[in-house]
Amino acid sequence: MALDNIGKVQNYVGSMASLPVTVSKVLEVCNNPKTSPIDLDHVIQLDPVLMGRVLKLINSAYYGLGTQVTSLVRAIIMLGVNTVKNLALSTAVLDRFTDRKGFSAINMEGFWRHSLCVGVTAKLIARRRGVDPKSVEEYFAAGLLHDIGKIPMNAALASDYVLAMAVADRERIPLNAAESRVLGIDHCAAGGAVAQAWKLAGAISDVIVHHHAVAAYEGEHTDVLLTVAVANYYASREEIGFSGNRYPERLDPAIFGRLGIPKSLLEELDGPVNAEIEKAQIFLKMAK
Amino acid sequence: MFSLRIWGDRGSMPTPGPDTVLFGGNTSCLELRFDGRLVIVDAGSGIRQLGDHLMKTDIKKGPIDADIFITHTHWDHIMGFPMFTPIYVPGTKLRIRGPINYEDDSLESIIGSQLSYRYWPVRQEDLAAKIEYEQIKESRYDLGGGLNVYSKYLNHPILCLGYRFEYEGRSLVTMYDTEPFINVFPTDPADPSYDEDAAREGDAAAADENAKLHRFMQGADLVVHDAQYTAKEYIAGKIGWGHSSYEHAINAAHKAGVKRLLLFHHDPNRSDTELQELELFYQGKLAGRSGLAVEMAREGSTYKIEV
Repeated sequence: MALDNIGKVQNYVGSMASLPVTVSKVLEVCNNPKTSPIDLDHVIQLDPVLMGRVLKLINSAYYGLGTQVTSLVRAIIMLGVNTVKNLALSTAVLDRFTDRKGFSAINMEGFWRHSLCVGVTAKLIARRRGVDPKSVEEYFAAGLLHDIGKIPMNAALASDYVLAMAVADRERIPLNAAESRVLGIDHCAAGGAVAQAWKLAGAISDVIVHHHAVAAYEGEHTDVLLTVAVANYYASREEIGFSGNRYPERLDPAIFGRLGIPKSLLEELDGPVNAEIEKAQIFLKMAK
Repeated sequence: MFSLRIWGDRGSMPTPGPDTVLFGGNTSCLELRFDGRLVIVDAGSGIRQLGDHLMKTDIKKGPIDADIFITHTHWDHIMGFPMFTPIYVPGTKLRIRGPINYEDDSLESIIGSQLSYRYWPVRQEDLAAKIEYEQIKESRYDLGGGLNVYSKYLNHPILCLGYRFEYEGRSLVTMYDTEPFINVFPTDPADPSYDEDAAREGDAAAADENAKLHRFMQGADLVVHDAQYTAKEYIAGKIGWGHSSYEHAINAAHKAGVKRLLLFHHDPNRSDTELQELELFYQGKLAGRSGLAVEMAREGSTYKIEV
């Protein structure tokens, strides 16, 4: 079953469209011949699928890149505005071929808000920790993309996914545990398949795969992983967006110590996080 | 023998007529020879006459066998392909490599769709030649016989590759269509859309990419460089169009220690007289100040890279 389901996820990745929440803004920005690079940057940053596909293009096309490119600004300069616009348009248009009934388990607007909140929160924590400004975007991208595995599960394994969510709610267990029981794979494994197809490596890939198993993680991107885990906890606690996980696992308090930040830091984040999400809503012209 | 012959050097659109006799009016096509081996860069309108030439000369020695590197799929770089006679000749073998802008269309469909009834009386499916297409990115190719080719993304509105050919210790580099990378994000804090992180990262990215272009042509024996505009024209309204100024091409080649520079991709509105004047002007500026030899690319000219 697990292999079969991973196969379904892999098959779906090629037709994965940008989120319904961002589609109209993507079309508006990318169909405008005078689009500013900053608008392009903004609209892509608000969509984990677009972000992932741009990073895939940049990291698979360039020869001898010493490290993964995780900055969208850099990708836009290297690839050119037109190339990125075309890629975004083609990703947005894929939506027409997507079976919208498939988005039945997770509400995509809630998913979007959760993903953005985790990205923004991870970035703000990184800044507060004095992370090198060059790496801050990587924290954002990792946060934005951490739950990417839920999109193909929600669409390609829709009926079983509804069941998994029901199990999680009924038994009050974390969603990933219910996913594993019902589907044989969880969204971290599904996300791993997406990361592989998109040739994402490094911190972003590690966060996608390990964000529900941080204690066992032995890779080299601990800081990003722990930061996203804290951001994920914050988004759930504050109920900013919803990506299906009503009963998340407990966050080990030692994580704050490992990151060298007080837990009370989270109390200071409400203002800036909400401001960023509100800015995004205004940009996307969404109803609040 | 390592040589270059230019069959087309005009940018954007073929420009026949009395004003383009000296420098030529055909769009991009370069014939490279590495002893017995034939490599073609681009299939602009100049490839028609190259094809006719091959049918008079090379065909006597056997079927045409060539590697074609396409810099990018803008029309002026592929438009001559349907008139390249060897594609209609049984026994011809072509390996066509080039970049595509993003992943939806294949190189074969982009170039080959010119050979469909809507545009042309012969369909791609009916061609006699054996043609293999390969979509390439930044990479390195060992073509055998000591010939190595490196590809590098340049800065153009669609993905465009420059090529560096290395053979028996000598090198030829194509650097078109391109312009210097710039930070496209606002850097003035007074700009309403200014973003400090984007401004800083954009500056760093542009500098890094320009350094890579510099390294790509470093020490080359011959560079064929985009030079469609004067610096004044470029600044006045051509930034972001994907073409360089003469001044940029010359400065970049000088700094990279290039030995000989051919200014290429002439603007369709540039007459022979203007190109001659500009050539003399820039040669005069360089005289005694740089070891770099500069000239305007001339259709029909052959340049030997001494091995």
